Amino acid sequence: MSLREQLRIMVVDDMSTSRGLITQALDGFGIRQVESAADGESALNKLAQWPVHLVISDMNMPGMNGLQLLHALRSNARTGKVGFLLITGKADRNIIETGKKLGMNNFLAKPFQPADLRKAIEAIVGRL
Amino acid sequence: MSDPMAEIRASFFVECEELLEALQDGLQTLYDEMGDGETVNVVFRAVHSIKGGAGAFGLDTLVAFAHRFETALDLVRSGHLSASPDVLKLFFTCSDILTDLVREARDDIPHDPTRTDPILAELDTLLGATPADDVAEDDPIDFEVTTLSLDLDLDAPGETEDPTWDITFTPGPLLYANGNEPQFLFRALRDLGDLTVTCHDNDLPPLEALDCEHAHLGWTLRLTTPEGRGAIADAFDFVEGLCSLDIMRADDAPPPPADLPDLAELDDLAALSGETPDPEKPIPEPVRPTSETAPSPEPSPRPAPAAATPRATVRVDLDRIDRLVNLVGEIVINQAMLSQSVDAAGVPPNSPVRTGLEEFQQLTRDIQESVMMIRAQPVKSLFQRMSRIVREASAAIGKDVRLRTEGENTEVDKTVIERLADPLTHMIRNAVDHGLEPGDAREAAGKPREGTVQLTALHRSGRVVIEVADDGAGINRPKVLAKAIEKELIPADSQLTDSEIDNLLFLPGFSTADRISNLSGRGVGMDVVRNAIQALGGRVTIQSEPGQGTTFSISLPLTLAVLDGMVVRVARETLVVPLNAIFETLAVTPDDLRAFGPNTHVINIRDTFVPLIDLGAELGYRHPLQDYTGSVVLLIGQEDGLAAAVVVDAIEDQRQVVIKGLQEAYGRVPGIAAATILGDGQIALILDPIDLVAQASGHTQPAKPVSPQKIGVSS
Repeated sequence: MSLREQLRIMVVDDMSTSRGLITQALDGFGIRQVESAADGESALNKLAQWPVHLVISDMNMPGMNGLQLLHALRSNARTGKVGFLLITGKADRNIIETGKKLGMNNFLAKPFQPADLRKAIEAIVGRL
Repeated sequence: MSDPMAEIRASFFVECEELLEALQDGLQTLYDEMGDGETVNVVFRAVHSIKGGAGAFGLDTLVAFAHRFETALDLVRSGHLSASPDVLKLFFTCSDILTDLVREARDDIPHDPTRTDPILAELDTLLGATPADDVAEDDPIDFEVTTLSLDLDLDAPGETEDPTWDITFTPGPLLYANGNEPQFLFRALRDLGDLTVTCHDNDLPPLEALDCEHAHLGWTLRLTTPEGRGAIADAFDFVEGLCSLDIMRADDAPPPPADLPDLAELDDLAALSGETPDPEKPIPEPVRPTSETAPSPEPSPRPAPAAATPRATVRVDLDRIDRLVNLVGEIVINQAMLSQSVDAAGVPPNSPVRTGLEEFQQLTRDIQESVMMIRAQPVKSLFQRMSRIVREASAAIGKDVRLRTEGENTEVDKTVIERLADPLTHMIRNAVDHGLEPGDAREAAGKPREGTVQLTALHRSGRVVIEVADDGAGINRPKVLAKAIEKELIPADSQLTDSEIDNLLFLPGFSTADRISNLSGRGVGMDVVRNAIQALGGRVTIQSEPGQGTTFSISLPLTLAVLDGMVVRVARETLVVPLNAIFETLAVTPDDLRAFGPNTHVINIRDTFVPLIDLGAELGYRHPLQDYTGSVVLLIGQEDGLAAAVVVDAIEDQRQVVIKGLQEAYGRVPGIAAATILGDGQIALILDPIDLVAQASGHTQPAKPVSPQKIGVSS
C-alpha cells in the first residue's frame, strides 16, 4: 500500500465549508482515510477511537483554538507524536512562535490552493 | 449537483447565511450593551470565516471587504477601539454590505462599488491610526517544518480492549450545598463500564472538629469503558465548577512531555483565539475546562454560546418536503374515507378494526405534525431583515429609531415567512415614517428622542401572532376621518367608533401622509398589506392609543396545509368552519333572541348582544328562516371578541381537513377561505368566518350606519 492509501488524517475546522474543501482536496491527492470534526473537543473524542497520523486544524475556532488543541494532543502520550498542520488566517508571528514551541509540524496560511496544501503535507510526511 | 466543488460552494453560501445571522445577533447584543468578550469573538469569527471561505473560492470583492471589516473588529477585540454606538452603527452597515456582497457572489451579480466605497473610507478612517496588522513580506517568520516518521500500524495494540480511565474527583462544599450526591454520579459511571471507587478521607477531621458545611472527602475512580471521554465528562455535567475533576487515561497517564512550554507562557494563546485570559484557568484539558485549583465557590462560566457552534442539520430540497406534505395530506383524506367506510359497514364499536383505525388516526396526526415541523422555521431570519429595514428607513428620514425584537425563535411555516416579508417591511416602514414622531416632537411630549419599534412573535391559541408596535403619537383619528371624507371613501356625516376610524387605514388608496415621503409613499397602501396577509389565511388588527403609540397585530395560521374544522350542514350543502374561529356552539332559546326590525335579529350571549347571521341566506342557498328558535348557532369571533352568531342547520363532525386552495382557479372569493375533500370524496368549501361576518348583507344584522369593512368591499 502506498503512503497516501495508508495515511489517516483528522480535519478540524468549525466551518463546514473549510472541512469540505480540505477533505475534497485530500480526496484529490488520493487520501481517503479522512475524518473531520467541528471543534477541538470532538476531535479529541474521535481521536480516542480512531487514531491518525496527521491532524489538520484551523487556528480560529470557538471553544478550543488550534494551538490549544495542539497542546492537548501533545499532553497526551497516545496522541503526543501525531503530526500537526495548522491552518491560520494570517501568518501571525505570535501564533507561529507558539506553535513552534508546542511542536507544530507545519502551518499554512489562508487562502491556499490544493497544491499548497499538498506541499505542506508532503513537507511533513514525505511524498504522497 | 454532481460536481463536488459546486456542492461545497453552494454549502458555503448557506453557511454564510448562518454566519451573517450570528454576526447580526452579536452586533445587536453589543448594541444593547449585553455583550462580553466572547460576543466580540463570535462577531469577529463570523466575518473571519466568511473571508476564509470566500478566499478559497476566489471571491475577491468579498474577501477585500471582509478583510477590512475583520481588521476593524480585531481592533475592538484587542481593546484598541471601543465598541461605541457610533462604531457599532458603522459595523451594522458593514454587516448589511457583507450580506449584499455574499448575495452578489452567490448569484453572480456584478458589484456596484458606489455603495461600498464610502463605507470602506469610513472603515479606513477608523483604522487609520493603527499600524498594519499583517506581517511584512520582507520580514519572514523563521519556521522549520518538523518531519514525521510515520507509524503506519495505528490500530495494532490494545485497540480491541476498552480503555481504562483514572478519574480524580474532589467535591467542593457548594456541590453538596446544591444538593448533588457523589453516590449518584458513581452510579451513572457504573452504567458506563467496570468501576472501582477509592475514597480518600485523609483530610477528614476527627468527629468533634468536623464542620459539616465543608467538603472533606475525595475519590479516585478507575473506569474501564468503551465510551469515550465525553460520556464520562457528561456524568459530571451538573457539578461542573463545583468540584475539582481530572479525567486521565490510566494506560497512558504520564505527565506532558518535558519540552512542552510552560502553561503560563501560553497566556498569549488565549489572546490569539480571543478567549478571555484567566490565570486561574489553564489551557483546557482535552475534554472540557475543569478547575484544577482549589474547588471554586462559583460555577465556571459557560463555554461559547450555542450560536457559535455549528448546528447539526441536513439540507433538503424544499420540493421533496412539499411532496411529503402533499402525500401526508392524501393520507389524511384517505384515513377519513376509511373511517367513513367503516362507519357505513356498521362495524361494532370495540372491534379490532376500530381500535386499529383509531391508532391509525393518531399516527396520521403525529406524522402530519412532524412533517409540518420540518417546514417550520424560526422567524429570526425575517426579524433580522426587518432590523436592516429599520436602520435604513430611520437613516433616510433622519429619525433615531431602535428596533426591539421578541420571540425570534417562534416557528412558522417557511412559505408564510417568505410571504410575510413584504407586508412586514411595509408595516415597519410605516411605523418608522408615520408612527413615530420626529425627535423634537418626541422630546416636547416628554419622550426619549429615540423612538422604539417593537417586533414580537408569539403563539396564541393555535395561531402565530406577529405584532409591530411603535411608541409614537398614535393614530390621529380626526385627521384620518377628515381624510376619508375628503377622499369620499365614507359619507360626510359618518359616525364612526375609534376602532372603525383606525380601520379606515386599510381602505384602498388611503394615505395619511400630507407629503409623499420617500419611504412609505410607494403607492402601496395598507390595503395591500391586509390582502397579502389575508391570502395567507391571516388577519390584521390595529390598536392605537393617542400619545402612546400604535400596534398592528397579524394573526396567522401555523400551517397552510391543514386545519381543524367543524363540518356543518346548511341547506343540504356541507361546509367547513375553522375551529379556531368558533368560541362555542349553542341552540337558540326564545329568551335569547331579539328581533331588530324585519329579518334582523340579535342574540343575547351573557348580556352581550351579538348579530345573528343566517349562513344559508348569506350564501344564497335559501331564504332567511321565519323563526330561529331552536336553531344551532356557532359563536364566531377573534382575538378582540365575539363578532357574530352564525346559524347553521346542523353540526356534523369535527375533524382535520386538508386545505386545497381555490385562489388559483377562482381568485379570492369573499367569505370563503379554501376548499377540502371530505371522507366520502365530496368537496366542501372552507369558510373564512371573520370575513363572512364582515361582508354579511344585513338580512339578520342590525342596520348600522357604516362599517369600514363594508366600505372596503363596495369600493
